[in-house]
Order: sequence, then C-alpha cells, then structure tokens
Amino acid sequence: MAHAHGIHELKNPGVYRPTSGFRMVLMIFAALGIATFAAGLALQPTRAWASFVHNHFYFMSLAIGGLFFAAIQWVTGAMWSAPIRRLSESFTAYLPVALVTFVILYFGIHDLYVWSHADHVKGDLVLEGKSGYLSTGFFMIRNIIALGLWVYFARKMIGNSTAQDATKEVGFTLKNRALAPAFLILFALTYTMASFDQMMSLDPHWFSTMFGVYCFAGLFYIVLATTTLMTLYLKRRGELEGLVNDNHLHDLGKFMFAFTVFYAYIGFSQFLLIWYANLPEETMYYLHRLHGNWVWVSLFLIAGKFLVPFFLLLPRDSKRNPRVLAGVAMFMLVAHWIDLMWVVQPEFFKEGPRVGWIELGMTVGFIGLFGLAVTRFLSKHNVVAIGDPRLEESVFHHHQ
Amino acid sequence: MSNATMERPLIGVIGFFDEPGALVQATQKVRDAKFRSFDAYTPYPVHGLEAAQGLKRSPLPYVTLVAGITGCSLAFLFQYWTSAVDWPLIVGGKPFNSWPAWVPIMFELTVLFAGLSTVAAMFAFNGLPNIKRKSFDPSLTRDRFALVIEAPATGEEEEGRGAHRKFEEVDASQFLKQAGAGEVRALYAEGWF
Repeated sequence: MAHAHGIHELKNPGVYRPTSGFRMVLMIFAALGIATFAAGLALQPTRAWASFVHNHFYFMSLAIGGLFFAAIQWVTGAMWSAPIRRLSESFTAYLPVALVTFVILYFGIHDLYVWSHADHVKGDLVLEGKSGYLSTGFFMIRNIIALGLWVYFARKMIGNSTAQDATKEVGFTLKNRALAPAFLILFALTYTMASFDQMMSLDPHWFSTMFGVYCFAGLFYIVLATTTLMTLYLKRRGELEGLVNDNHLHDLGKFMFAFTVFYAYIGFSQFLLIWYANLPEETMYYLHRLHGNWVWVSLFLIAGKFLVPFFLLLPRDSKRNPRVLAGVAMFMLVAHWIDLMWVVQPEFFKEGPRVGWIELGMTVGFIGLFGLAVTRFLSKHNVVAIGDPRLEESVFHHHQ
Repeated sequence: MSNATMERPLIGVIGFFDEPGALVQATQKVRDAKFRSFDAYTPYPVHGLEAAQGLKRSPLPYVTLVAGITGCSLAFLFQYWTSAVDWPLIVGGKPFNSWPAWVPIMFELTVLFAGLSTVAAMFAFNGLPNIKRKSFDPSLTRDRFALVIEAPATGEEEEGRGAHRKFEEVDASQFLKQAGAGEVRALYAEGWF
C-alpha cells in the first residue's frame, strides 16, 4: 500500500507567491494601523495604548506559538504534521516585529501600568512590596531578553528546517530535536513571565498563578486556528496537492477541538479557585468582569470561546470539511481577540468594552504587519518542509 | 475433524491469505460480487479493510454523546436537589445554587457515563462476549488472514433474487480461490458448549 507509492509523487509546491494586490492590501492595513495609532495617541491615549498592548500581545503570542508548535513536532518526532509544519514556522517571521512593538510599549508604560507611577506606589503596601520586580527598567530588560531568546531560537531552529529543504539531510531534524526541549522549557518560563508582566500587571494588586497557563491556552488556540486556515487556503489554491489530505485536516480539527476544551478547563479552573476562596484582592479581577456590560463579554467567552467551537468541531464530518473547519478557525481567532480584550480593557473601562475606530484600526494594522512578515517568509521559503525525512510517510497518512 | 462435525450446519466458507494486502483485495472482490454476508479475520488491525468491506460508520459516537449529556445533566440536577432543595445549607456565604462548585462533578459524571456507556455499547455492537462460536483457526491470531463468506443462518431463508448473490458452497469456495486464497475450506458450526 504505502510502499506501492514512490517518492517521485512528492511535488514540491515551492514558495508562496502572493499577488501584488494582496501585498498591497496588507501594506494599506499596516499604514492604516499606524495612522490610527497616531490619531489615537493624540485624541484618546489610554484607549490607543490599551489597544496597542492588546494586539501586541495577541500577535506576539501567535508568533512565538508558531515556534512552540514546530518544537513539539520535533521533540515528539511527529509524522502527521510534516506537510503543515512550515506554515506554523512562518509565524516566527513576526518575532522581530514583536520585539519592536514591545520596545514601543516603553512609551506607553505610564498610560498602562499604574505600578510605574512612584506616587501611586508610595503608601500602598502591596505595590511597595512588588516594586522591586515591577519597575520600568527591570520590566523592559527581562522582556527584551525573553524576546531576544525567542528570536535566537527561531533563527536557529527555523534556519535548520529551511536548510533541510535543499539537502534533505536528516541531521537537521536531529539538531532541532536536541534544541526543542531546551526551547520548550525556556518557553514555559519566559512566556509565563511575559504574560505576568505585560497582561497581569495591568492590575498590579491582582495575581493568579494560573495566568501564564491561561495565556498559553489562548496562544495555542490561535496558533492551531491560524495554521489550519493557512493550510486550507493553500490547499484550496491547489498548492498542497498530493501533500495534505483529509486525514491531516482531521488531525488539525482534533487539535483545535482539544485546545478548545483545554482553554475552558484552564479558564474555569482559574475562576473556580478565586470564586471559591473569595479573597478581596483576588476577586476584584472577576468583579470588574461581571459588572456593567462586561458580564456579556464574560458570557460570550463561555459560549463563544468554548461551547460553539466545541459542538461545531465535535462531529467527525466537520473536522474533515474544509468549509466548517475554516469557519470555526476564523471564529476562534475572533473569540481569542475578544478574550484578550476582556483581559486588558476592564482595567481601564469599568463600564463595558469599547470597540470603535481605534480598536479596529489598530487590529487591522497589526494584521497587516503580521501578514507582511509571514508572506515575506513564505515567499522566500518553500511552503512545505520538502526535505523533512517524515514527509513521505506523512503524505500517505492514514487513520486507524 | 470427526463425522460429528459434518452433521453440524454449514456456516460458511473460509479462505486463508498470507498477506494483508491480498486479503484487502479479495475482500473488495467479495463485496463487489454482492455476497449477502461476509467477514474478515485478522491478527491485527489492517489499514483500508473497513473501506474494502464497505462497513458503515459505527453508531457508537451517538451513544457517547447521549450518555455524556445524561451524566452532565444528572450531576447538575442531583447537586441542585441536595444543595438547594432537599437540605439547603449556607456555605461560605454563597447562594444555595452555587453551580460553579458543581462543575467538577458535572465533568466527572460526563466522562464516567460517556466512558462506561461507550465500552458497554462497543461490546453490544460487536456481539461480545461471543459464547456461540469458537475461533476458526489458531493461525488467525498469529500470522494468517481469513475471509469468511457466510451461509444464511438456519431458518433464515436465502433470497437469491435481487441484489444479493446466492450462497452456494461450491460457488463461494471457487470465488475465494480465484480471489487469491491459499487454503479454502467449509466451516461448520462448533458451539462452545
């Protein structure tokens, strides 16, 4: 069966060639975002910065999540994912941009993080106790080091992967298999730190030891959705002919389904512990999010981020149906955007969410930047890791 | 085989194969020839065999879904009844209907009901445990593959007309030989008891 097929059937789809129109749209998106940010800073700086950190964290997570996905494939020696792994690798092309947006965040620290105001911290016992950790200099340095490490590992591992395309050398896979565990341990620590610093410290009194995992659940949620969307897009264009079959889509669908449940599990666990203990300094976080119009957003997260994708992805047929899969993946991307808005905005706008031209313009801008970085990567490298030793086996991927 | 077995009713014709690939091809031929009932026996799962047999999807997932929803609902209702109806107690200043505290149990019962029902339904759908038939041949659990074209059960009238190919011992044996079976023989019912 699998032996009857020869390697000659593997056709290298080559690099991705975006139409000039598509690239133009992304550039207009990015320009629109920059213009919105400038106008927002002039008119409503708090909103502009809140939206900036929201989208910065969303796309930074997506970028490093792409390397996380690839790293678990290398560490487990996964076969099924060989034809789609390069797409998740491409997200890391945005990491240098995330480093830049983090540096830009420096100018918004005073608008976003109350712990950066010496007069606010003075006399507040909790904040005084945390002032050693939550200080502007240390905040910037440790997060820049983390992002620098991510860029380093991405360069190294993705470099190995793309170099393998030409030589088909197994050694590159072995190198990445050795690097991956080191990266994964480092990722767990640094991403938790980035979540605590950039998101959780928006309310410096509040703490949740699960917050890092909560952000990670969202990270993997959008990484899987984006990888699935890109796979479906290229498959529709006919570029993955003979490389990606329904079984690969089924696996992506199962992965999305599993991490929908994982999100609900982590999100609920964080809520349950705080709700049960009912300690004022912990409960405040959820009180803000259950009052005013925020209660509707909280209810949306239960329904939209968990129940809707859960039941849509439950049947086998929907995981093998490109239309359903694409629809759910797009919905998941929006749901996580709303989730991060729910993390950021209640610290500034107690009465309810604000989605207007600033938020939409900024989001469009970040989509443009992310799209440009990823498109540039994929127009330089093959969209499929054609030299991967697992590829041939994976192409004839069959389910038990 | 003694003469005693020969008096037992014929249950079908069995053909043995040495290769899983040959079995899949033969299975396709038997299915295309529209034999009324046949089954394949292998020592381990063989890729593509379900498709060759033309098996439909199992209804098992629906059992799991219904059992899971039942477990979840029962867990909620029981906790609601104990905490808010039958013996209401104020715990930690929280309302009687403190549903967040019940979610872990709702989850557990969802999994428990779904899991146990799935196992039970799997046994039922597969007709297990099988106490009516002995294994046809010990090699089927080791290194050989077999295809059995089954005779209509006793009392069940063979309907040769229409869609199905009428079962006849000689015809079925020849068909299996032509499909590539190495050894072909008739099977007689051998009860466990």
